[in-house]
Amino acid sequence: MTDFNRRQFMGTGLLAAAAVITPDMALAGASPAGWALGVADIDTDIPEEVLRLVSGKVPSGLNTTLYRNGPAKFRRGGSASGHWFDGDGLVRKFRVRDGKATLAARFVDTPKRRLETKLNAMVQPGFGSARGPGAIVNGPDDTNAANTSVIVSGGQLLALWEGGSPVMMDSETLETIGFKTYRRDLKQMPFLAHPRVEPDGTVWNLGGNGKGTFLWKLNPDGSLANAQMVPLDRNSYFHDFTATARHLIIVMQPWVQDGFKFPLSTAMKWKPELGTRVLLIDKNDLTKRRVFELPAFAFFHLADGWEETDGTVRFDGCIEANPTFGQLAASALLRGEHIKAPTPMLTQFVLRPDGKAEMQMARVAAEFPANDKRMAGQARRFTTHVTGYRQTPFPHAIANWDWSKGRDDKFDFGDHQLVEEFLFVGKGAGERDGWLMGTTLNLKARKTELHLLDAKRVADGPVATWRASLPLPLTFHGTVA
Amino acid sequence: MNNVKSILTAVAMAGASFSAAAIAQNAGSSLTVNFTGIEEKQGSIMGMLVDSEAAYDGKAAPVRPLMVSVDKAEVVAMIEGLAPGTYAIKLFHDVDGDGKMGTNPYGMPTEPFAFSNNAQGNMGPAKWADAKFDVKVGANVHSIIIQ
Repeated sequence: MTDFNRRQFMGTGLLAAAAVITPDMALAGASPAGWALGVADIDTDIPEEVLRLVSGKVPSGLNTTLYRNGPAKFRRGGSASGHWFDGDGLVRKFRVRDGKATLAARFVDTPKRRLETKLNAMVQPGFGSARGPGAIVNGPDDTNAANTSVIVSGGQLLALWEGGSPVMMDSETLETIGFKTYRRDLKQMPFLAHPRVEPDGTVWNLGGNGKGTFLWKLNPDGSLANAQMVPLDRNSYFHDFTATARHLIIVMQPWVQDGFKFPLSTAMKWKPELGTRVLLIDKNDLTKRRVFELPAFAFFHLADGWEETDGTVRFDGCIEANPTFGQLAASALLRGEHIKAPTPMLTQFVLRPDGKAEMQMARVAAEFPANDKRMAGQARRFTTHVTGYRQTPFPHAIANWDWSKGRDDKFDFGDHQLVEEFLFVGKGAGERDGWLMGTTLNLKARKTELHLLDAKRVADGPVATWRASLPLPLTFHGTVA
Repeated sequence: MNNVKSILTAVAMAGASFSAAAIAQNAGSSLTVNFTGIEEKQGSIMGMLVDSEAAYDGKAAPVRPLMVSVDKAEVVAMIEGLAPGTYAIKLFHDVDGDGKMGTNPYGMPTEPFAFSNNAQGNMGPAKWADAKFDVKVGANVHSIIIQ
């Protein structure tokens, strides 16, 4: 980040926030060396390569593709993105088939990336980036980094951001096709990177926050089923929401947006005195809603929810004492600095029919919660999550939390491995009857690795590990296709 | 970014507010405007030609409204009888033919818009200073890319 950008970022609002949240700053040099590789730059697309099997054995008959997305270009010509969330999206395709694994990766060809390539400077504003000289912003998609997740809807691979349109990609070549417009009057509408997908392929999503949020419902064939504003009584920022079979659940943290300015995060204020409010909305009648009050917490990610026969609603997520990570620490990463932020903790939320809400803490550090998507909306027992937060800003372990026994089935990859989100790949019908598939960045080997674990025996470690020829920066989210 | 909507809505209204006085045909300059890069070959280009910053900002009447049917990727507007001087053009492509600049539920433009000199706006229309150009005595040609 240039001094100018940094000054601007640190200036408005955040100094006040910093005074409250008192970040404990440590330089990267004090941590196990090299974590900055997780936020390094990739300059070109990665042609398909066969990954080297470094340990284990490939389960026979496994045929699956893991698409992952994450920012992979942060710096150009002496300028830099102001935040981890603002780098250019690199979509990666890991495929295991016929006993072999391959990797290909391609940047999403966005207007932002084209402009910044031409100027050889990072200029477009974003979540934590200020506007640079030559920035052009005539709508949200001009700043769309398409870097947060991917989904396949109606057979179409979409790269997702949250403030603008999904981007259509060719699922084989990863070539960018263009912004997805569901209807002309819905161009440039925000579309969160965390759609909730019912087992039949119906997609629910939200976009934008303020006096309302925009609700999207897509049919299993990818066509638009419904699109409308849903009023909200609080302008909370949210990166994710969740759903049960019958309800949408919007968690309104007291990290609220006061007006609009770039960087977006500088318009967001932490107001813990407001507490956290949970809104439960009937999928079949969006005017039917119930409100639940909880103590203040900050969060990014939730897992799928479900209803019980008496009407109790449960879902889980990873919550933080305050949003220091999103406000400060995730910016500092790009400068090679590690600001210690509150550790995200796995928590189950219980919304009772009498209007009371509770939080049940698993008491384990956790992020990137994932679950068996075949059971979306149904009661389940397990939540997969990254864990093992130590000296670096990134986790070192993967685990499956068992809500009924209250224990983690965990494998620690070690200090030299940065662990990314792992997703469930079903084999049989049972909730853990399948694999956990995910990636790590091996700092010692300086290579990205793909791992497959038995979901029933996570502590045993990978049943197969493949290694790429190069290190790729860390991803956020992905999908199994 | 809402400014884009409000100021370009003024473009659609230019036709209504355009008065006979504005067509003072006291000189022999002509202006040919080529519109290129049109992606959707339907609807029309709607815009206005102005000769002052005030008119550009919607605070004075435009010199001419512009309305050109779109049936191919490049269309042309011929404007005769202009006084030599400094002018600017702002326009949008009314793809759906409803006579107004389309916006999404958050007020973001959903139809292409452009300015003379292909000047770029930033969370709003391009500035007069970037969009203004000279019309000299005789025939003049100006090109605008619709995107």
